[in-house]
Amino acid sequence: MKLMMLSANEAKKLRPGLLTGLLLVMGIILVQLVQLGLNMALTQDAYYLSKLSGEKRQLATEVQIIQEQVDSLASPQNLADAANRLGMVANPSSVLIDIVNDKIYGVPRPAQAQSSAASANLVANSAMVSVSEFNPATVASAQVETSVAESALNGSQVTLVAGQIPASPTR
Amino acid sequence: MGNHASVNRRLSVFALLLVLLVSALGIRLVDYQIVRADEIRAESLESRKETRTLTALRGDIRDANGEVLARTVFRYDINAAPKNVGPVIRYMDGNRTEISVEAAADELARVLGLAPEEVLSKLAGESAYSNLAKKVDATVYNQIRELDIPWIYWDRFAYRLYPNGAVAGNVLGFVSSDGTPLAGLERQYNTCLAGVDGQETYERSAEGVRIPTSNVVTQPTQDGGNLNLSIDSNLQFFAQQVLAKSVSDLNAEWGSAIVVEVKTGRILAAAEAPTVDPNDPGASKAQDRGSRIMQFAFEPGSIMKSLSTAMVLDSKSATIYETVNSPDRLQLKYGESIKDSFNHEPFQLTLAGVLRYSSNTGMYSFGMRVDEKTRFNYLQKFGFGKTTDLNFEGESSGILRPYDEWQYADRYTHLFGQGVAVTPLQMAFAYQALANEGVRLSPSLVDSCVTPSGEVIYSPERKSTRVISEEAANMNLQLMEKVVEFGGVGKLAGIPGYRVAGKTGTAEIREGAGYGERFAISFFGVAPVEDPRFVVGVTIYKPVGETNSVKATGPFRSIMQQALKHYRVPPSTSKPRDDIPSNRFGKTGE
Repeated sequence: MKLMMLSANEAKKLRPGLLTGLLLVMGIILVQLVQLGLNMALTQDAYYLSKLSGEKRQLATEVQIIQEQVDSLASPQNLADAANRLGMVANPSSVLIDIVNDKIYGVPRPAQAQSSAASANLVANSAMVSVSEFNPATVASAQVETSVAESALNGSQVTLVAGQIPASPTR
Repeated sequence: MGNHASVNRRLSVFALLLVLLVSALGIRLVDYQIVRADEIRAESLESRKETRTLTALRGDIRDANGEVLARTVFRYDINAAPKNVGPVIRYMDGNRTEISVEAAADELARVLGLAPEEVLSKLAGESAYSNLAKKVDATVYNQIRELDIPWIYWDRFAYRLYPNGAVAGNVLGFVSSDGTPLAGLERQYNTCLAGVDGQETYERSAEGVRIPTSNVVTQPTQDGGNLNLSIDSNLQFFAQQVLAKSVSDLNAEWGSAIVVEVKTGRILAAAEAPTVDPNDPGASKAQDRGSRIMQFAFEPGSIMKSLSTAMVLDSKSATIYETVNSPDRLQLKYGESIKDSFNHEPFQLTLAGVLRYSSNTGMYSFGMRVDEKTRFNYLQKFGFGKTTDLNFEGESSGILRPYDEWQYADRYTHLFGQGVAVTPLQMAFAYQALANEGVRLSPSLVDSCVTPSGEVIYSPERKSTRVISEEAANMNLQLMEKVVEFGGVGKLAGIPGYRVAGKTGTAEIREGAGYGERFAISFFGVAPVEDPRFVVGVTIYKPVGETNSVKATGPFRSIMQQALKHYRVPPSTSKPRDDIPSNRFGKTGE
């Protein structure tokens, strides 16, 4: 290493330009700021993602709760009990309509109240968490709202001719 | 000059030191950043890293209509850390409220359904773990979370739920509390249902807080496949209801009902009473937790006669018009005798008459026309003496001794269902062969196993065995129809509008060296005769006070009628043949 004596002018020439230095510093500051911004955005997104994951878990839990309620309400055990509470009667005789050949198979028979009343549930299900709450009283109150539509239907009831489907006016 | 030299020397020393320092730092930097970089990184990560198992979900079991019979849900163990227990601080509308430990315990007790004192006792002490409640459902878990008590935490785990309870419970089987399959299809098809747990790692800060986005899945989870059954849960439930009532009314040991789709061999219902609720297997007796339909073999009695007449027809040993003399007791030449179930004058019975009156003596006379080896071969082809292709765990093969080991009564008692033991499954598929133009299909309970990505990894192999000719099978079905058309007990199995064929059975049950006083009563049948769709077989074991099969025909009729209605089978449009002689004089008609 060697030390040299220079004049003031020569030293001034060798001194780095202020603008260059300023640009360099500004550049560094800018890069740092961009990096900071990106980091902040990334962190923000990470927390947002974490929040969404939490919400997803919570929603999955809600779905599970509702699914288990639906399972219980839809279980045959619940339906059998509900049918029994409502005094529903099963009609074992089947009557089928063959649309292609305009035929009715089987003879319609009224269900027998005594012999075919829906049996209450006899099959265990310890997973039932919800049961249907309706009973004859709640159903009766629901019928009030549908009575108008029902009376309109009754007025246009079709009487079946044995073995034949009545010709539809729409075809 | 001297000053300059001194300055230069000092500067040189300073520069040298600087170089040495920078070199040392550089070497250190290279060591840290390059040479030992991996080691240090791993060491650093290890100190922050936590590993967590990602639970793979066990697949669903679904019925033929896609209804879920078994699914995996989550349950929660609610725990406390007694060493951290203290007052709970809550902010309501910006106001700080302090909840005492007693009040918090009271809230917990209300949600968990426990006594406050019990909760308080579990919160006492200095341990880091105290379990407050096990296996609580998601509703309770949510309520606990909402309490926001900092010293309460929970463990989530997968739990097997059977939404329809005991519907098909005997077939589904069940799993242990840790998820190990213990019985039934759960165990048999574990490779389909079980998933493969995954693993992830994540990083924690010095404060122990999980660092977001730091998680890395090192082993992805593979959820289990869904098992699709042939069981129709609606029909299954109906059959179980019918059986439960019959078994209870008759004070019987158990009852079983099986519904088979004739053309495919698919089992639509395999109902039993009593049975098991897989949600709570401990509530059932050990002997009720399996499937007797597959696992219990018994001497079937007269339901076997339909198969014996089929052998006679197929081997052309008799026509449907030939008659045999059928007294109520037949003395055999080597000192034994065969007796019918009721006293009567000697009948002249055709094959249809033998079925209609369920005559043991008549069946003997016809059956002995077929040699022993041929009969044994027929019995084997009907599927007796070996397990089926169902491969249900613990399935019984029944008992069918080789014909060359038959002695004395063994030579003929199988013609009316003694000396041979069969499972309800085997008998149902022997009837399936009769209904399917003489071809026995392999039974199936499972339609497919499908992975979460939709790939079918299992579907049953359908095997078929020609047992008897199509002509003999169809004719035999029409002989069996006479049982329902005219039979004293069989008539009760009739379904208005449908042609039904079947056979009653009142089988004695061996006790020690002889037979006991209680019976296994059965009715196995087919409908509609002109185009068979279903085989239904009902057996009620050891009903109290029943000496005939009247009480088995009712359940048969109910279940068959429900199957026909459920699957929209049109009523029969043809009538039974009226030229088949079946009365006690060997003539047609009543």
